Amino acid sequence: MTHLAWVPERWVDMATDTLAGMGEQHPSRTILLFPRPDDPRDALDGEVDLRCFIRAGEQGQVCSEVVSLRLCGPRAQAPASVAVPLLIPDLPVFLRWRGEPPFGDQSLEQLTEVADRLVLDSDEWSECDATLERLPELFDQIAVSDIAWAKVQPWREACASLWPGIAEASSLRIAGPRGETLLLWGWLQARLRRALALQHEPAGEVELVAVDGADVPAPRAERRSSSDHLSDQLEIFGRDRIYEEAVRGLVRVAA
Amino acid sequence: MSTTAQAPNPLEEGLRRRRSPEPCALTIFGASGDLTKRKLFPALYALAVRNLLPPKFGVVGVARSPMSDDEFRERMKQAILDHARDEFRQDAWDELAEGIRYVATDFADQGGEEHVVKCLNQLDEKHGTAANRIYYLAVPPSAIETIVVEMGKRRSAEGWTRVIVEKPFGYDLESAQHLNEVVHEYFAEEEIFRIDHYLGKETVQNMLVLRFANGIFEPIWNRQFIDHVQITVAESLGIEGRADYYERAGAVRDIVQNHLLQLLALTAMEPPIDFTAESVRNEKVKVLKALHTPGPKHIARGQYAPGYIEGEEVPGYREEPGVASDSMTETFVAAKLYVDNWRWADTPFYIRTGKRLPRRETTIAIQFKRAPHPPFELDSEDALRPNVLLVHIQPDEGVSLAVGAKVPGQGMSIRTVHMDFLYGGAFRTSLPEAYERLILDCMLGDATLFTRSDEVEEQWALVDAMVAPWKRDRPNFPNYAAGTWGPAAADELIHRDGRSWRRH
Repeated sequence: MTHLAWVPERWVDMATDTLAGMGEQHPSRTILLFPRPDDPRDALDGEVDLRCFIRAGEQGQVCSEVVSLRLCGPRAQAPASVAVPLLIPDLPVFLRWRGEPPFGDQSLEQLTEVADRLVLDSDEWSECDATLERLPELFDQIAVSDIAWAKVQPWREACASLWPGIAEASSLRIAGPRGETLLLWGWLQARLRRALALQHEPAGEVELVAVDGADVPAPRAERRSSSDHLSDQLEIFGRDRIYEEAVRGLVRVAA
Repeated sequence: MSTTAQAPNPLEEGLRRRRSPEPCALTIFGASGDLTKRKLFPALYALAVRNLLPPKFGVVGVARSPMSDDEFRERMKQAILDHARDEFRQDAWDELAEGIRYVATDFADQGGEEHVVKCLNQLDEKHGTAANRIYYLAVPPSAIETIVVEMGKRRSAEGWTRVIVEKPFGYDLESAQHLNEVVHEYFAEEEIFRIDHYLGKETVQNMLVLRFANGIFEPIWNRQFIDHVQITVAESLGIEGRADYYERAGAVRDIVQNHLLQLLALTAMEPPIDFTAESVRNEKVKVLKALHTPGPKHIARGQYAPGYIEGEEVPGYREEPGVASDSMTETFVAAKLYVDNWRWADTPFYIRTGKRLPRRETTIAIQFKRAPHPPFELDSEDALRPNVLLVHIQPDEGVSLAVGAKVPGQGMSIRTVHMDFLYGGAFRTSLPEAYERLILDCMLGDATLFTRSDEVEEQWALVDAMVAPWKRDRPNFPNYAAGTWGPAAADELIHRDGRSWRRH
């Protein structure tokens, strides 16, 4: 597959870390696009690396091609024209967008045009509420994955295990990142078809979920890195209607 | 209120849930053996690391060696450190270790089984294993019957009980039928999980995906397009101190009866209507029933003499510790089989297996018929080789297709090249071990990848017919040097048909 990543300057270090873990798990061609619209040059700087990993306990190695491209000056305006010749034909293209997607921006429009799936992480967004509100604009253009959504899967399972006792719930308290919190909230509202009052306490990861004052039993802890979560998203192909419904439900109730 | 309770759970929709087994206790009979150390505990640990074990889970090791729970735990921890595919994680081990118990007993002695039952009842109370039991019989065939009878008599009225039986299941058709009768006296067929660990291998399962999830193969997967099939299970190892077992079994019972016939069945079977245990096994049984018993001319057997493996001098079979100096046990078998049905009539399936062959390799090679009229001027017929679809079961798991390609230049020279799919090059790191998949499937009650009673009996019926003439002849053993591809008779078997074995 081709893994296309749009990496504005402030995400470079995190993107590199995630990539280092992911290449080993998901052999692919990765094209890292570093937009530098303010660079005075009209230039395209590129590097190609072959990153090979010895497979644990097995013979041979796994290799991933990593193409790093700095799109300087006006080149940042036409990223698809740079990426398309480098895509592996007939295999899926995943677009990892670091940070908030700039709705209406031509770089996003162009790259979602050539990709099969857009992978976001709402935990990365500083304006999470506003961005989630606009996110449904993308749903008819491209299948969207959200790493924050993947992270709340164990909590969704835990909540599901409380059915039908949870059917008439009216309030939700979550200690966790804003993105994951909103997605859990939106999902519960959409699935239960009722509004729930939300009480949110910021935390680095979801630590507590309580429905109507009763704690949801915490799922078994799993050690999963950013690379693992991204890697999981690269195994999903179709549209995730439940995620879309959760985001839309969130917007509907929030509005 | 009752309407709400009966409504489908809307929160379940879209959850990509992993299959999660119910609470249970796994009892391993033969817990001090090699299989437990090398395969079963590393597999349980791999499942624990991935949170695939039930949250309420216990393991009871049963063997004759006197040992405390703590000593057994310590041994199993060492086994995991030595053989697990994952790095050691204290938290995963602690969780697993908490439910581990050991019962030192000999089933030949009266009352041994009561200790096991008592231990399981305690686990139910302390770990909530809900009287759900799996008995894993990692014991010699001679011990299976006693354990099945004693544990069958004491099966709990609550919860479910499943029995995993290691290969070999019997020694011949008669003993397999007898064993089936004994087991069926206490357990229903859907409670019996006869293991052939080859079926747990990803690449073996991929054979079904390759055939039935790709539109391009099935239309040509028949006698019209396929010239012949070669299935090889080659081992470079000798008998590794298992003379007791191997002297009785030989290559035909050790490999042909189970692994080789399973691979053949998966290659030749018709598409099942779905991927349920019954549908898949029904189709495999049809193939086994259709197998034509090969005559003596279509079987070659051998026994290895001293030779060299990877540069190291190795002894012959008769020089191995515990092997009789005049042993007539075969360490190599090759055969030509026919599947007598519409799809495969007159298409030979050549199978071979042996110990001390030049390298470890399990492959299924589908050789297609040659192009009928190549319009090129060729240097020799060899220049245009037939297409071969090669399924690598192990090592280097994957699939490759040999095709002819033009050598760049002015002329029209053709050379065979490979289009390769390697698991390691396309998917995430290491493949799960077969035992992980099979133990988990048993916990989930999914018998698709296990052998059914009629399947195992069909396998033995064929093997019995193959070995029947062997009682009357006495081949000149040993007849191949370690590090070679078997006796000359194996080459003659296939050369008579104007074909040859794949060498690499």
